[in-house]
Amino acid sequence: MRSKLTKPFFYFFTILVSASMLSSCGSGSKDKKASEEEKIVESVSVDGKVMDDFKKSKLIFYSLPSPLETAMLIKRAGASYNEELLNPLNNLEKYATNRKMALNLGVYSADLSYTSLFDQTQSSIKYMANTKKLAEGLGIIDAIDENTLRKLENNMNNRDVMMDIISETFMTSNAYLTENDRPAIAVMVLVGGWIEGLYLATELTNGSLENNKRLIDRIIYQKLSLYTVINLLEEYKENEDVAYLLVKANELKVIFDQVKIINTSKVEADTDVDKKVTTIKADSETYISKDVFEKLLEKVSEIRTEFVS
Amino acid sequence: MLALSPKRFFLLAFLTSMFAFANAQCFSFAKNVGKAKLGDFVHDGNYNATILSEGEKAELFKTFFEGQKYRISISKIESLPTIHFKVVDRGGNVLFDNEEVNYSLSWDFEVESTQMLVVEMEVMERKNATDDLISGCVAVMFGVETDKKK
Repeated sequence: MRSKLTKPFFYFFTILVSASMLSSCGSGSKDKKASEEEKIVESVSVDGKVMDDFKKSKLIFYSLPSPLETAMLIKRAGASYNEELLNPLNNLEKYATNRKMALNLGVYSADLSYTSLFDQTQSSIKYMANTKKLAEGLGIIDAIDENTLRKLENNMNNRDVMMDIISETFMTSNAYLTENDRPAIAVMVLVGGWIEGLYLATELTNGSLENNKRLIDRIIYQKLSLYTVINLLEEYKENEDVAYLLVKANELKVIFDQVKIINTSKVEADTDVDKKVTTIKADSETYISKDVFEKLLEKVSEIRTEFVS
Repeated sequence: MLALSPKRFFLLAFLTSMFAFANAQCFSFAKNVGKAKLGDFVHDGNYNATILSEGEKAELFKTFFEGQKYRISISKIESLPTIHFKVVDRGGNVLFDNEEVNYSLSWDFEVESTQMLVVEMEVMERKNATDDLISGCVAVMFGVETDKKK
């Protein structure tokens, strides 16, 4: 998701003029790839002052762990699969507002990723069908079509292809909303997915700080992701649904503020030019008390229950 | 307050409308061009693409998790000048600078300790540039190495 920190005045013109440009856009018949590039490169003569003003602008993007990445983190932490934690499929009929549809598009995307990573292919197909319905409800065209479902069914035994399909549908929904001037809805989808990932991770600890230290570590470091969530929500807080989510995120922040993450050494990097890889390392210590952990579990569960009910 | 002459006003209006139009094209660019450059890494599903112009900068905040191997792949339309990108920690310490590796736009990162890092990008300016401002899609894609490959 992107944030235009120094271009607020650009929005007005965007709305004003882009509609006429888009409506006059004819369908090209040239080579598809060549025309794709032509469409997205522009050159215009501007005077020096305008150019200087323009270059001072800086775009800020915040990238949350996607549902797919979160599911990978949960799996690599050695957690197990528990179908009972998923948002029941028949909850779908409850979601009629944009906020509910957006949040639960994220929630079901996270559940879909989780089922897929644990090779629960029949469940994956069902959860994909639910994400399709919610995407359609939000007016997202072609994010998930019949071909996507068919492709998923045909590749039930190929996890890499399934992950690729899931990542592409998530990106398509996000891009569609972002590029159609509905960034607040896009943010709600991301936040729904993030909360569901956090819910799955916290529930999979079975309330214990000792059972799976790696999973606890993953949960603790979501404190950093919460920073991203809050920044994203702040950008669109004039939207009342986003403002509501910001309140929830800040309630979570009160608890995460009591979680300690300390880098005890400088962050260092070691680059291997031949292998084209850089290794990033730092010594760090984390701490969460039992009391804070319990409050965190309770708050995450409370927020998630609100989202899915 | 920013005072704009009528000429600048209309130039900015034109630039902005042009970018809004072009932005809608960035998705197909990210999907068809950017994603392919991730190779065997699985795309995380996030959409980070926009129109940038020469001289313009962007920053992307992302948490990199311990034990994961990531591929950052930046794609740009051919006519856009080179992109200079760095990965810095939150204290501003440079951990990677693509200037040192021939401005490579694809690089892998192994993370031994979870960190929030910032990917800083700048579209470089052409030498002997005229007043023509070149703009185009830039997509930043993150891939995660799958278990099979590890």
